[in-house]
Amino acid sequence: MFGKLTWSAIPFDQPIPLITSIVLILVILGVLALVTVRGWWGMLWREWITSVDHKRIGIMYGLLGVVMLVRGFADAVMMRSQQAFAVGAHRGYLAPEHYDQIFSAHGTIMIFFAAMPLVIGFMNFVTPLQLGVRDVAFPTLNSVSFWLTASGALLVNISLFVGEFARTGWLPYPPLSESAYSPGVGVDYYLWAIQISGIGTLMTGINFVTTVLKLRCPGMSYLRMPMFCWTTLASSLLIVAVFPILSATLAMLSLDRVFGWHYFTSDAGGNPMMFMNLIWAWGHPEVYILVLPAFGIFSEVFSTFSGKPLFGYRSMVAATLFICIVAMMTWLHHFFTMGSGPAVNTAFGISTSVIAVGTGVKIYNWIFTMYGGRVRMTVPMLWSLGFIFTFVIGGMTGVLLAVPPADFLVHNSMFLVAHFHNVIVGGVVFALFAGLDYWFPKAFGFRLHEGWGKAAFWLAFIGFWVTFVPLYWLGMLGMTRRLQHVWIPEWGPLLDWSLAGVAILVAGAAAQVIMLVVSIRQRDRRRDTTGDPWDGRSLEWATPSPPPFFNFAQLPDVEGEEAYWTIKLRALESQRLDPEPHYQAVEMPVNSAVGFFTAFFATVTGFSLIWHIWWLAGLGLLGAFVGFVFFAWRDVHEFHVPAEEVARADRARRAARTALLGERGAEAAAS
Amino acid sequence: MSDPETFAAGPASELDGREDHAPGDAPSEDAGYWVHNANFGLALSVLLTAGAFAVVRSDLVWGPAIPVALLVLAIAQMGVQLVFFLHITTGPDNTNNVLALAFGLLVTFLIVVGSIWIMDHLNHNMMPMQQLMQMQP
Repeated sequence: MFGKLTWSAIPFDQPIPLITSIVLILVILGVLALVTVRGWWGMLWREWITSVDHKRIGIMYGLLGVVMLVRGFADAVMMRSQQAFAVGAHRGYLAPEHYDQIFSAHGTIMIFFAAMPLVIGFMNFVTPLQLGVRDVAFPTLNSVSFWLTASGALLVNISLFVGEFARTGWLPYPPLSESAYSPGVGVDYYLWAIQISGIGTLMTGINFVTTVLKLRCPGMSYLRMPMFCWTTLASSLLIVAVFPILSATLAMLSLDRVFGWHYFTSDAGGNPMMFMNLIWAWGHPEVYILVLPAFGIFSEVFSTFSGKPLFGYRSMVAATLFICIVAMMTWLHHFFTMGSGPAVNTAFGISTSVIAVGTGVKIYNWIFTMYGGRVRMTVPMLWSLGFIFTFVIGGMTGVLLAVPPADFLVHNSMFLVAHFHNVIVGGVVFALFAGLDYWFPKAFGFRLHEGWGKAAFWLAFIGFWVTFVPLYWLGMLGMTRRLQHVWIPEWGPLLDWSLAGVAILVAGAAAQVIMLVVSIRQRDRRRDTTGDPWDGRSLEWATPSPPPFFNFAQLPDVEGEEAYWTIKLRALESQRLDPEPHYQAVEMPVNSAVGFFTAFFATVTGFSLIWHIWWLAGLGLLGAFVGFVFFAWRDVHEFHVPAEEVARADRARRAARTALLGERGAEAAAS
Repeated sequence: MSDPETFAAGPASELDGREDHAPGDAPSEDAGYWVHNANFGLALSVLLTAGAFAVVRSDLVWGPAIPVALLVLAIAQMGVQLVFFLHITTGPDNTNNVLALAFGLLVTFLIVVGSIWIMDHLNHNMMPMQQLMQMQP
């Protein structure tokens, strides 16, 4: 009846997961009770759960990403402390089978359910605003994408309480991940969680390629798009190109596990090395899917806070597209040691070094953007400067690893671990925090506390280096990754240093939380009434903060690069806004519950496939299909926002802009 | 098209004349043309498929040349699919579609040829798994 699911799936004998799960369940019940007591269900359902507004979906992606970032960070704290405690005669506090699940969950969660949702969240919130349009190309599909991602994240978290998670690392290498060596449900949790969220990500990619190519406001030609839109396009192209490889590879592994097929087994004609090849053909472009939008965020930040157009805009576009293509030619450097020989290794070593040229062009462009500019040392700018320093060093260790003979010496060592955290934390995570501070006023209408933001940056920056420099060193001493126990006592002090760095990072995370709490409490003092708090240059700053759900009363007509800057200069010179347009009714897509229902049934299907409850899997698939057809079969797709409502919102915006014009005019006169 | 008022009315589904359009965006032909077009494409593709079977089963084509004939029919089939169903044309309004196709081909080429190259060298350098297994007692 319930497949492999029995009471023994609940970890009654393991205090850590059990207590964590109970606390989590209590927190969730508490939140649900609060929502019920306050009567927020109707509002939540109408305004958020069924919303197809790209800004709301972007914020929900962000929330999901932050929650999972905390979960993944908790795993990291456990790993670093276990290694610091389990040196020599000491055994630490985590059993090997539990420790293995933690490092697997850490990587899986951080890449798929923290970094991806946060990056896609920014793409959702920012891209349509910057392109000067009212929504993405397929708003309902966007909602489905989000809820499928959330469904995958939910399955990973269920594995904490029901059953176990994979013990195979964040990429389940066969033959270890085959049913012969991993008979439990851990790998199945991994496979179905990633499959479900992967479909969501693929649809996001399709959505944003279409949005950037087909939905731009009048005059917004390709070479007038802000840099973030270009990176969104490149990242989405990569998603469309490589996520099918991930789905296919994991599907083959599932067939091996469920039906005893032999794609990746070591016997009966299977070849585990094909798995490494295919998974990295997805895995390496995935790195660029994450880091390209991060580069976009930094480009916006550097340009805005230097008060200058982005230096070398066209070379930046070229470098982005260069990285987009070459990203698909470097995947073998993840397995130089597998034995393809000198010819293959050399070719991929060269392509890996070549891709650093594109990134180098970008770094110089950012530096020259600051050169001669009036640089404002705001929180986003601090993160961006910290990024340049951190990412350049991470990039250099990367070029070192790109040399096959050098890679053989440090392959799968702590040096590698330090390197990829160096580029992912320094590149992606710093960008996410920069973007959070930069676009928060646009999303919520008030600025974040500057002092706590700076504290958070310095703690994260210092904490990062204190954590990872010892790991570089340990890697060169020969310490391999994923050790549950460390036999060599001399490594103890370095691991202690690393743990001290984690303590600083925890303080940094606390500073972020305090920043949010303090800012929310002081929100009335921190209101952004102008809609343009940073003296911005792209179209999102032409809207009020937060923007109305239809974004623009009238779509802007863009002349030249830096769309909003041109409009602003014209207004400042003539000391008045462009004449009030003739307002017309606006058509907007209606809300849809299809995303939520599809994801609900996808979760049921995923859970029953994990536990081999076949009848429930069938019901779940049927439910997802019926729900999809039921909700897709609607006659009304759009509703009209009356011209009066549009006019009312836009007149309020124009009043705020006129006030701002007076302010800026007085400033200019004074200086 | 360049009058900004036309854009304020609806969701930004239209761009001005400077921008590119995919076929089907605002077709100048009526729906009947496209039905006719699809039917013609369907007929052609069925004909080509049936032709492939006919070539194999009959002696219309000289035996050793059959693989070449199948190849020709397959390439023609690809052309029919691209023109009639994916609406690829050489027109200036078709840049996006052609670029998307080229990008897809490039990615497929890189992954397939790269994988074959990698796995071939691997098998050459490392003993294939089956032989390793057979050597074990």
